[in-house]
Amino acid sequence: MMNESTDILRFHDVTIAPDSDRESGISSLNLSLSPGDLTVVLWEKEQVRIPLADAAEGLVSPLRGTVSFLGEDWQKMAANRVAAQRGKIGRVFEGESWLSDLDVDQNITLAQRHHTRRAVKEIEVEATHLCRVFGLPGLPRGRPSNVRWQDLQKAACVRAFLGALILILLENPTVGIYTDVIAPLINTVREACERGAAVLWTTNELQVWNNPELSATARWRVLGSPTCVMEEAREAT
Amino acid sequence: MVAVVARELSPVLIGIVVIVRSGSAMATELGIMKIGGRVHVLEAQGISPFIYLVMPRVLAAAVSTFCLTIIFILVAFVSGYLFGATVGTGSRDLPLFADTVSRAVRPKDVLAILSKSILPGLYASASCCIGGLSVGGSLTEVPQATQRALVRSVAGLFVISTVVSFLTYL
Repeated sequence: MMNESTDILRFHDVTIAPDSDRESGISSLNLSLSPGDLTVVLWEKEQVRIPLADAAEGLVSPLRGTVSFLGEDWQKMAANRVAAQRGKIGRVFEGESWLSDLDVDQNITLAQRHHTRRAVKEIEVEATHLCRVFGLPGLPRGRPSNVRWQDLQKAACVRAFLGALILILLENPTVGIYTDVIAPLINTVREACERGAAVLWTTNELQVWNNPELSATARWRVLGSPTCVMEEAREAT
Repeated sequence: MVAVVARELSPVLIGIVVIVRSGSAMATELGIMKIGGRVHVLEAQGISPFIYLVMPRVLAAAVSTFCLTIIFILVAFVSGYLFGATVGTGSRDLPLFADTVSRAVRPKDVLAILSKSILPGLYASASCCIGGLSVGGSLTEVPQATQRALVRSVAGLFVISTVVSFLTYL
């Protein structure tokens, strides 16, 4: 583990209460991600969703402990600072994540257009390249409701890796499209790690967890429900 | 009569129209977006729902309320002139009619029309947006939130209208 000050993301003794029927809590989690780290978290299929990615982005307040991003506690940041820091994070969301009044391409490029001064054309060129990497013929146009579900899943991967992001959160990115995206996804994750980003990949698919190509720096299992305990698995490479 | 239509009746009627037509749509749309997790997605991407969802709606509502009020006043006067001219109870001299109307409206009235159309538009749209974003996790909360937002908006419309009238004419 690297020095605390160089950590991209750090959970320090974090406990989060379960907030509804859909989300589990987390108990006493200590986890850190440094530049280049890939951490894979496996939870059982039967378990309800864990708010790990939300906690990593400061979207849920811990009952106890701190979640720090680039050395700063989310709870102590000013609102505009929080927004700016979240602009450095890419994410594949669990469940529906598309704004229905924007086209898919606008959804994909929205965060980059909002947070950076890059030209729209330049962002679209990068997005188109990523689309081809993930098996899409190009940047999907049209409203999300008119795009195939599988293509939306791939587009979600494109959105998560678009731009020079520091932290990438992948919530079950391969659901329903495992065979199509696992190879390009692992390659893209590797490239992101090589340029210094950290990746937190949560999954409930054993085939992802057991994939020999996935060279994770740490592997965690989620145990119990409704308040989960996360335990580092020994088979970490 | 000109002053009553221009400065009292038109902002209130248009305010009610905008609240019922657009305010309810805003509250419902944002409530459904909140429950569907779209607001969460925006926040997770570091995009403030206030800037992205609320501000454009509030500004658009204020501008459109003002424009609709002006259109309402013009249509009211033109239709009044046409009706009077057709029935034969008013003057058929259009320049004279326009002159009478322009003399009846004082600079104070223009200020009152401006305030009474823009301020309730701002308040009602902000109230409806906040109402929509305040729903929790259930779809059944959307109609309740919309209803509350509309009541607040209509009450606000009358309060603002009354206060502006007092400040302008007393």
